[in-house]
Amino acid sequence: MHIPDGFIPLWQCAIYYVIMIVALYFSLNWARKNLDERLIPLMAVLAAGIFAIMSMNMPIPFGTSGHMLGGALVAIVFLAPEAAVLILFIVLLVQALIFGDGGLTVLGANVVNMGLVGGVVAFFSFKALQKFTGKYLAAGIAAWLSLFIASEVTAVQMWLAGTFPLIEGLAMMGLYHFFIGIIEAILTVVVLIALDKVRPDLLAWNRKKNMGEKTLEASEEVAAK
Amino acid sequence: MSGASTVRAIEQETEKESILHLMDGRVKLVLLVLIIVYAVFSSQIAVLAFLELYLLILIYISHVSFKSSIKRILLLLPFGGFIIAFQPFIHPGDVIWTGAFGIHVTEQGLMWATLLISRLIVALTSIVLLSSISPMQEVAQSFRRLGMPRELAMIFSLMIRFLFMFYDELHRIIHAQRARCFDAFNKKIPYKWRMKQLGYTVAMMFLRAYEQGETIYMSMASRGFSDESNLYNDRKKKLGRTEYLYIGATLLLVACLQILAMTHFYQWGFIGMNII
Repeated sequence: MHIPDGFIPLWQCAIYYVIMIVALYFSLNWARKNLDERLIPLMAVLAAGIFAIMSMNMPIPFGTSGHMLGGALVAIVFLAPEAAVLILFIVLLVQALIFGDGGLTVLGANVVNMGLVGGVVAFFSFKALQKFTGKYLAAGIAAWLSLFIASEVTAVQMWLAGTFPLIEGLAMMGLYHFFIGIIEAILTVVVLIALDKVRPDLLAWNRKKNMGEKTLEASEEVAAK
Repeated sequence: MSGASTVRAIEQETEKESILHLMDGRVKLVLLVLIIVYAVFSSQIAVLAFLELYLLILIYISHVSFKSSIKRILLLLPFGGFIIAFQPFIHPGDVIWTGAFGIHVTEQGLMWATLLISRLIVALTSIVLLSSISPMQEVAQSFRRLGMPRELAMIFSLMIRFLFMFYDELHRIIHAQRARCFDAFNKKIPYKWRMKQLGYTVAMMFLRAYEQGETIYMSMASRGFSDESNLYNDRKKKLGRTEYLYIGATLLLVACLQILAMTHFYQWGFIGMNII
């Protein structure tokens, strides 16, 4: 899903950069409001964790392999799409700068797909579904939806750039990510179940409000329960 | 995707000594980004060929291994190459070949594919060069000095510090799984069980990330860390003669190429043609 350099014209790249900067502005405001200086390093560690997780290849039916994006997981753990934008921005920046995985001129487009669209879709679908399906099933559906919709948005971006036809792009990206999305959903749910069992204090749904509004002592109380 | 061995191999390249390695991180970062932006802006193969030649000269000057650089570029090409391979068949234009099932190749599609692959090669060469002459921590510091917000720069800088630690953790887990004959791609094992094991691996990584972060914070706080602390090296380093020479040479090259693109390259046939 990482778009490389040269596939999107510069003027369109500029538009995606503007959207990314606006999203980052709101995400940083969220971080300043909700994360104290104790939790900012934690976010950095999480970003490194997501980066390492992304390098793990998972088997997909039909003999191919894919990897987790983690945007939905971050958005659900923090119950904030802003967290997904921040972490995916850093991860995608490092991937583009150091590994050439995804381009620099298209960084805005990649962050819009995977961080913004992925995070927002995961967060709102989780919020909407959890009352009806329970939190784990809702998280699984949200993770699948976030990946699938993000991949379709990538196909639309490529079509807008004149690089790939719309119908074929939607079909190919959709088919491939339909299966990767299932893996993303299963792994997201397994991780959430494990976290809920071992460290419930880390999950925002176990707190009254957001991450930074709980003190360390209060988090330990939740963990002790 | 990037693995632990790739990360270490790239960082080893940055430990070499050359004029480019010693330059200010901001200059290296900004100029290589400028080359990528100009490559994406350009629609003439000739311009991209000259940019690639310039980058290869820089690789030579920096004593970075040609073999490993080309290997890295070739490994990264398939990601975009897959989309590029379709272009001759889907791009509208003059049909130059028709095959079975109505498949056809267009001249404009071939030219467009050539332009895309040329842009991609220049962009990847720039990234390979940048990552081979700038340690990751230097890139993070350069972003901070170029005005990246404090919180973002801090997350960026810390993430890089923790990255190697996580790759070690990941390798430890994978080795432990291999020692127990676990293979995620073994079709004889039920798919559900394999997914469960992978899920637990990811969960374990996630938990270790959090717990390591907490420990590190406590260590930092006990050493006087606060939200006013600067975790990154924020020294004001002045640009030297070599930096100005490098800036001048790169800007001059871009300016000359743009002038030639507008006045001369169109006479060079296919490679000088504006491909839109």
